[in-house]
Formats: sequence, structure tokens, C-alpha cells
Amino acid sequence: MRRLQRIILLVLVLFPFVFMLGLSLGRDWGYPRLIPATWTLEHWSSLMSGGNGLGASLILSLGLSFSVSVLATGLSFWGSRLVAYHPRRNLFLRAAYFPYVFAPVILGACLQYFFIVSGLYGKLGGVLTAQLFITIPYGLLYFSSFWNTRRKAMEELVYTLGGNTWQAYRKVLLPTARPAILTCFFQLFLISWFEYGLTQLIGVGKVDTLTLQVFQYVTESNIFLAALASVLLILPPVILLWLNKRYLFRLNTEYTTP
Amino acid sequence: MYLRIKQLEKTFGGQRVLHPTNFAVTQGQVLSVLGRSGSGKTTLLKIIAGLEEPDRGEVFLDNSPITTWSPQKRGIVYLYQEPLLFPHLTVRENIGFGLSLRRVSTPDISRRVDEMIQHLELEGQAEKMPDQLSGGQRQRVAFGRALIINPKVLLLDEPFAALDSQTRGQMQQLFKKMAARHGITALFVTHDLKEALIMGDQLAVIRKGHWRLYEDRESFMRDPETGVQDELAFWEQWRS
Repeated sequence: MRRLQRIILLVLVLFPFVFMLGLSLGRDWGYPRLIPATWTLEHWSSLMSGGNGLGASLILSLGLSFSVSVLATGLSFWGSRLVAYHPRRNLFLRAAYFPYVFAPVILGACLQYFFIVSGLYGKLGGVLTAQLFITIPYGLLYFSSFWNTRRKAMEELVYTLGGNTWQAYRKVLLPTARPAILTCFFQLFLISWFEYGLTQLIGVGKVDTLTLQVFQYVTESNIFLAALASVLLILPPVILLWLNKRYLFRLNTEYTTP
Repeated sequence: MYLRIKQLEKTFGGQRVLHPTNFAVTQGQVLSVLGRSGSGKTTLLKIIAGLEEPDRGEVFLDNSPITTWSPQKRGIVYLYQEPLLFPHLTVRENIGFGLSLRRVSTPDISRRVDEMIQHLELEGQAEKMPDQLSGGQRQRVAFGRALIINPKVLLLDEPFAALDSQTRGQMQQLFKKMAARHGITALFVTHDLKEALIMGDQLAVIRKGHWRLYEDRESFMRDPETGVQDELAFWEQWRS
């Protein structure tokens, strides 16, 4: 019975992925056929040759999300320390909720004028900057619990043992923060990867990320390319989830702080 | 006098936590400071370590004014109530941490750590991670990590408070032994009367930011504010 339940659960979880993969290999799927009339690697080979633009979107999205998550993780880790030990810590942390209270798109609309004036409107740099506006506050909130009295005591201990700030970061703070930094990086990558509204608003359709492409194909009713784009869209998060399970569980249990 | 504190004062948020404080500690001596929570003892230790700035007053070490020196330059190690071992490092790496900060050669670190492990009676524990040690063993590693760099002064903020009474007794003996071996100059803060008497060559009391240093053990025991007289009366009533 348990085996059957497992199989049913597995089928339910895997069905959307398998279905999308199958659809990306299909052609001529008209009513009342249950499955596409022909199977082809045409869409995938077009991806490889760069014909449908999906390959370029994939590379663009990977580069954008990687840059956003690296920058936002680094800046929010550094900034969260300043905030955590600041006398007005609570005020700063409340302010970090702003992009989420208003919704990222509304934030983008409020900042649109500044993006136009600064020449970042419709540019990759603009989208990257806009995404930092929502990912850095997330990172600040995420790391706020990391900086506690115990962590401060550890840092001070390094100083009294003769270490400077750089040594405190390199030898104690960063190694003990490794699981938190990796988790934050993964989460920020996913936020950036699936970001639609803000990217559309600031990129004005000129920065074609994979998420935007999926919606574009869906609105065009191009189900085969939409399926292909969806498969590409889901791959990096699946790899990240696998890495998360494989490495982060181990790190989290390693660094129990006695 | 090796460590001298002159007119040290500190106020937090309008509340004075340290009234003008003066005292001195002779080199190689341990000054026990008896104080309850909120008495200002941690603030005093942090100012001496360079982790807090005083509002007024001066700290002298070996006749040099060090009030404006950074913690790194002072050579004064502050030990917390918790051992605060670095969780990602082994016992060996934790003990040798201060030496690695000073870029001492690896063979030299290894030799000195081995010696320290022997002195701390931690043989066979060198490659263990902190979470594999008992409370007493962790505290020993924390001592070793501080002592291996030959600090000029050791500041101990209730280091045995979290230990059970038996381990606490063992640690007190170990500290006395290590203090004698290394000629440690230390301020040992505790809220435990017996511990203060056992550990200190000199005795002082801090209460609500007011400091009092006693000339000798007798005057400490005679003063009703230290609680020694109450303790004696308590045991006397059971004897009678």
C-alpha cells in the first residue's frame, strides 16, 4: 500500500515535468488527438543553433540571476551587520519590508522615472539594478538573525586574540556563515530567476529573460516553444534544490555552535 | 603596578554603569572581582579589553596609557562566560587560532599546541570538533586558545558559571595551576563568593558600578557587604 502511495506521489510530482518535456518534442497537436501527431527534436536543435532565441535568453537569465544573487548576497551580508549593530536597527529592518509591502512592480513604477533619467530604462543594467532593489532587502532580513550577541562576542574574541576585521571575516564570520550565505544565494537566485513584473516594467521588453519568454510564447499560443522554455526555466531551480539537499544539509549539521 | 585603572567612568543611555573607578593589579597576580549581574563588571572588562570606550578615565598597562589603543594592540584577552569555540575548527585549530593570526610557522604552531594540549590534559581530543566535547573540555580549549599567545592580561568574565559544581572545582584547580605556570596577570570576575576567594591573590567587589579593592583577605572577609559574614553565620547556625 505504501509502495502504491509512493508511486502515485511520484507520478503526480513528475507528471508536469515529463509532460512539458514531451510537449517540447511534439508538433501538430490538433483536436481530438490525445498526443501530438509527430515527434521531433526540431525545437531543441533550434535552441542549440540559436534559431528561436531561447538559448540567448537562457544565457542572459543565468548571467542576470547569478550576478543579482552574488551582488545581493554579498551586499546584504555586509549591510546586515551594519544594520544589526546599529542603534536604530528596528527602523532599518522595518524599512526593508517596503518592497514587499508595496509589491515589487509598484516599487518599480515608483522608481521608473529615475531609471529613465539615469539611462537605465530598457537596459540589462537597469533590470539588474531594479532586481537589487528587491533582493538586497530580502537578504538584509534573511541575515538579520545571523548577527546576534554570540556572533558579536566571537568577533570581539578574534580582536582580543590579535586579529583584524579582515581576519575576523575570513577566519570566523564567513566560514560560520557559509550555510546561511549559500541558502540566501539560492533563494535570491530563485527570486531573480522567476521575476516577471519588475523585469518587464524596467526592461520594457528589451531584456528578454527566460521567464518573459515563457509568458510570451503562452500569449502567442505557441505551446511547443512555451513547453521548451518551461523545461529550461525549471532546470536551474531543480539543480539548485538538488545541490541544496546534497550539500546544505551537511553544512547545517556541521556548524552547530557549542 | 602592571595594570592600572584611573578614574574610569561609563554611562549608557543616561544611566551610569561605572562610577569613577581606580585600582591596580600587580604583574603575575590574579584579582578576583565579586559582582552580581548588572553591577558593571562586564562593562569594566570590556573597557580594559578595548571593546568599549570609557566616557572618562585612563587604562595603563606596564605604565603605558592604552585607553585609545585597539584591542589587537593591547595583548589583553577577554574570555566570556561561554567558551565560544569556533564551531568550524577542531580543538587543535581552535587552540592554535591566535598563533595563526600572527602567521607563526605551521611546525611551531603544531609544537606549541601539542604542549598546550598536554598542559590542559586534553590528550586524544586534538582532532575533535567543539560539539564533541564536554562543557569542561570546551572551557579548557578556550583557556588554551587564550594562553598560547602569552597575553599580557587575561580578563575572565564568569568563565565557570555554566559548569556543574564538580567540573567547576576541577577547572578552578586547573586555572590556578596554569596561572602559576604561565605567570598570568588576570582579572577574574565571578558572582560566587567561594570562587572569588579561591581564585584571587587580591580581592575586590563591584556593586552598581561602585568599585572597592581590599587590602587583604581579612578586610574582605570582615566587610559585611561581601557576604562572607552572612555565609559564616549560615554555617554557624547549623553547627550550633
